[in-house]
Amino acid sequence: MSEEQERKVLHPDFFTEDPEPRLIAGRCKVSGNWTFPPYLADPVSFQDEIEHVPLPKVGKLHSFTIVRRSLPDFPVPFGLGLIDFPEQKVRVMAQIEADDLENDLSLDMDVETVVGIVRKAKDGSDIYSYKFRALKK
Amino acid sequence: MSNLRDVYIIGVGQTPCGKYPTKAAHVLGREASWGAIKDAGIYARDIEIGFCGHVYQGMGVGQRTLKDIGLVGQPVINVEGACGSGTLSFWEAWRTIAFGQHDVALAWGVENLSKIMSGGPLPLEEDDIEVALGMSMPGLYAMRAKRYMDEYGVSKETLAKVVVKSRLHASKNPIAQFRKETTIDAVLGDPVICDPLTRSMCCPVGDASAAAVLVSGEMLNKIKRDESRLPIKVLGCVAQSGGYASPTGLTCDPSENVARTSKMAYEQAGLGPEDMDAVEIHDAFAIAELIVAEALGFAKKGEGSKLIEEGTSNYDGNIAINPSGGLLSRGHPVGATGLLQTVEIVNQLRGEATGCQVPDANIGLIETMGGAQPAMDGITCVVSILGK
Repeated sequence: MSEEQERKVLHPDFFTEDPEPRLIAGRCKVSGNWTFPPYLADPVSFQDEIEHVPLPKVGKLHSFTIVRRSLPDFPVPFGLGLIDFPEQKVRVMAQIEADDLENDLSLDMDVETVVGIVRKAKDGSDIYSYKFRALKK
Repeated sequence: MSNLRDVYIIGVGQTPCGKYPTKAAHVLGREASWGAIKDAGIYARDIEIGFCGHVYQGMGVGQRTLKDIGLVGQPVINVEGACGSGTLSFWEAWRTIAFGQHDVALAWGVENLSKIMSGGPLPLEEDDIEVALGMSMPGLYAMRAKRYMDEYGVSKETLAKVVVKSRLHASKNPIAQFRKETTIDAVLGDPVICDPLTRSMCCPVGDASAAAVLVSGEMLNKIKRDESRLPIKVLGCVAQSGGYASPTGLTCDPSENVARTSKMAYEQAGLGPEDMDAVEIHDAFAIAELIVAEALGFAKKGEGSKLIEEGTSNYDGNIAINPSGGLLSRGHPVGATGLLQTVEIVNQLRGEATGCQVPDANIGLIETMGGAQPAMDGITCVVSILGK
């Protein structure tokens, strides 16, 4: 089994890595409303004609915190943020990576979608999922 | 909804807030429930239906509670609505009477958290996509705090003052979990949990139960009860689940839910924020007191900090906020919290506060906000308005 096949992935349906990391949102064909993740039915039109569409790679950091105390499967410290995609009116909560968490993050900065380690499994192995990375100020 | 029947609270009971790892939830629950029944001066068998709010206490905790006070057979509904579970059980009791199905109901909330955890953030639902990625309630409120402080120029010192006021109120309250006063320096010097929130800006892990007996207006004059105990009228009681945020914009701030729910409660009561004397709000984290006070109409958007800076929200100020010490200091035993808040307001209106008595308190409000969901403004919000 290849390393890729062994990789444990959380929420694999909510993002793609082909050709680059992007979140997969739902867009209602009737109302045009976006949600992340995609819902079964749209909260505006109450129709179930939902297409799955990638969000832009880069979003804006609405707010963030450095988590210093968390549940056991999450090694601290780590960055946690609210990322806005203003055009789609979607706000996503996800972990935020930076070379220097203390100094590299600021409100409203650009952050890009990446895939990386988000937590530990019960057996201590790494679990991967989508997260965001601070782009240089 | 003008055909709603009048509903009164005729008895309340509560246990102290603290850590009781060896005390089963139903044991806490029976103390508070029995206290409420004794306070009302009714027979336990008068209770027609019970609603037990809790989050982590397992199967049948409501039935286990009432069995221990000799009450079996009646319908008992266990109610879960995250941190709003206690007030959601109160809302259930209120509405079954208001809509004419029952005349006497018991609402209580109970939680023993220290049995399942020693400290740290509340364990949340792993199936929630954000929780699975590391979201915790302190993390969520820390992000709200960071944005709010930036937008409105609020300092960490102001957040610390919320805790100082909370501890001051709790220092006089014998049932509070933290009864030692504190200082701005001490709050800011505490370990950081999630920037900018320090440990004492976050509510503690603790256990307790609280209960209320509710009766219809018709039953108030029929039931054999202790008539020396002042009945407190439920003037408004509204529960709302969180709404979608994304259709109208990016905001997924629970204060939107609080604003929506409280507007309905004010309308039901025919009152406004200016009429409130004593208020218990859901200050699970220091920032929440500012944001929720604004959502309830006690301050303009971005000006909640003025209440703290000017002392307006002290127990003897214009609008007394959390005279019990609130979640930060009285404690936040999740499912019990809403009823602890309700008992506090009943005691305030009766002029019998266990701690800081708000002068001339005639009307009070309780706000409880439970949980978080992606793209929604919370899980459950309940707002009640009580008057004497």
